[in-house]
Amino acid sequence: MAGLDILLQNVANGVLMGGVYALIGIGLTLVFGVMRTINFAHGDFVVLGMYSAVLFNALLGWDPYLSLLLAMPIGFFAGVVVERFVLSRVVDAPPESALLATLGISLIIGNAILLTFGGEPRSVQVSYASSTFSIAGVNVSMVLLLAGIATVVMIAALYTLLNRTEIGRAIRGTAENRLGAELVGIDTRRIHSIVFGLGVMLAVMAGVTLIPLLFATPTNTGAVFTLKAFVVTVLGGLGNVGAAIAGGVLLGVVEVLGASYFMSEYREAYGLVAFLLILLFRPEGLFGRTVKRV
Amino acid sequence: MIKHLIGLGVLLAVGIAYPAIFPNNLTIAISVLLFAGWATSWDLLGGWNGQVSLGHASFVGLGAYFVAIGQSQFGLAPWWTMAMAAVFAAILGYFWGWLTFSLRGPYFSLSTIAVAEILRLIAINEEWLTGGATGVFLATLPEPFGIDLFSRTAQFYMALAFAAVVVATVIVISRAQFGYQLRAVREDEDSAMAAGIDPTATKLKAFMLSAALTSIGGGIYGVVLAFIEPHVIFALLLSVQIALTAIIGGRGTIWGPSVGALVLIGAGEMFRTTFAEANMLIYGILILIVVLFLPRGIVGELARRHIRRLYAKRAQS
Repeated sequence: MAGLDILLQNVANGVLMGGVYALIGIGLTLVFGVMRTINFAHGDFVVLGMYSAVLFNALLGWDPYLSLLLAMPIGFFAGVVVERFVLSRVVDAPPESALLATLGISLIIGNAILLTFGGEPRSVQVSYASSTFSIAGVNVSMVLLLAGIATVVMIAALYTLLNRTEIGRAIRGTAENRLGAELVGIDTRRIHSIVFGLGVMLAVMAGVTLIPLLFATPTNTGAVFTLKAFVVTVLGGLGNVGAAIAGGVLLGVVEVLGASYFMSEYREAYGLVAFLLILLFRPEGLFGRTVKRV
Repeated sequence: MIKHLIGLGVLLAVGIAYPAIFPNNLTIAISVLLFAGWATSWDLLGGWNGQVSLGHASFVGLGAYFVAIGQSQFGLAPWWTMAMAAVFAAILGYFWGWLTFSLRGPYFSLSTIAVAEILRLIAINEEWLTGGATGVFLATLPEPFGIDLFSRTAQFYMALAFAAVVVATVIVISRAQFGYQLRAVREDEDSAMAAGIDPTATKLKAFMLSAALTSIGGGIYGVVLAFIEPHVIFALLLSVQIALTAIIGGRGTIWGPSVGALVLIGAGEMFRTTFAEANMLIYGILILIVVLFLPRGIVGELARRHIRRLYAKRAQS
């Protein structure tokens, strides 16, 4: 029975971790689905979120979840600015230009953080960091549970935005067919700005919820999260928000199970191998029929 | 082609005289030459053939590990291990390309990151093969004709020879049938196929040649470092650095990647005190400038202006 307990424990941890991966992946897939831009800077926006929590904690003594109130609007605004001044200029250029532009943004963010905060790993100590509580014999970490709840709330809000509001309809229309959306009077440039802002906001939020759990380093952590986000979205199918959630949970569970039952030193590799296999043999993702849906 | 080869000869002559004139600035010159060679090798695939790889650090690491392990465990001289590394890199490039060339554009770039990261994890974790995360130390080297390979002067000449051979290869290819096939596939794979070119075979050849050349430079880098750590030499950042050097200098031009190496390493040296370890910031800023304002890179933009001026002159007369 002990084996089953440990299995349940691992699955629970994997699902909760996967929720945060899903949050990161949704931002990437939303941007790709609407703008057809592969955002290499996505992981660096996650790291930016982590450091914003560190900063608010150091200056004002705020809890990471309190700092979300400021970090999320700032993230949205930063995304809009980046889209306006950089990405909107390359939207009609060959797809590589946007990829290189976001790669440049990624290097600038990572190294700017390095210049400001220095290279040593940073984190925020919270009083509930090590507290757990058990449901049916499974111990759940408080931090992961809070992150999971935040993820669910955010996904519900996003679902409502996309499916129940006029802006959401415009976003889906732009993803479906940009020219067609222009013809029925949608300002697709404005939609692009909003979508990139949303993508950055989601990344920042994921970073803030992760900071009590992980240490942030300026340049390496960004690349790790960018890769994870790619793995999550490709698992589900690029451009498909619902599938990104499934992809995130799948990656979380696979990583935790692979690390505890197989070779833990290859934890990062499981996702990458799955990523390659799916890219090669099922580029539309595990769940998607078309890559155009949002 | 003759003009470019003469230019290369002149630069080579300057390079041979360089250690006598600036004996104290050899380390940075070695960096410039190695990056010029790597970026030019990358450009065979990334510029001339249009397949942007973000995994070339794998081949640098491969070359460095072959030299270090060959010397420290089997007593093999670096020139033999470099030749072996080149062959092995070409084979690796063949399978890598065979696996991923069905993907086009940005998807190919993503897949190269994934493959390179898997190779990095293998280099860190398989201790029996690579010495693991602690790395390999290069303690002794043979002394051919009494030359001390640990001296910076000898290493400078090795790097110079490497860069010159790579640039000469590209000059010859640019006018050869293979060079036109590369460009045809870059512009439009389907039309190239209609013209009787096998796009996959062309891309595979470009990848294999690019990989082999890069790994030779990696072998020299191994000798220069004398201490090889997997997270330094297999790093995604090194792959990005190689690709950006070529793109900022000018993709698909003969001299662009070398100019890129000179500009970026030079700028990195100038701002070393200001930015310290954050000097990849320069790469980020420059790539944004290039993407937004100079989509052909530095040399590509200069060449475009030159051609425009020629046409303007011809129209006047």
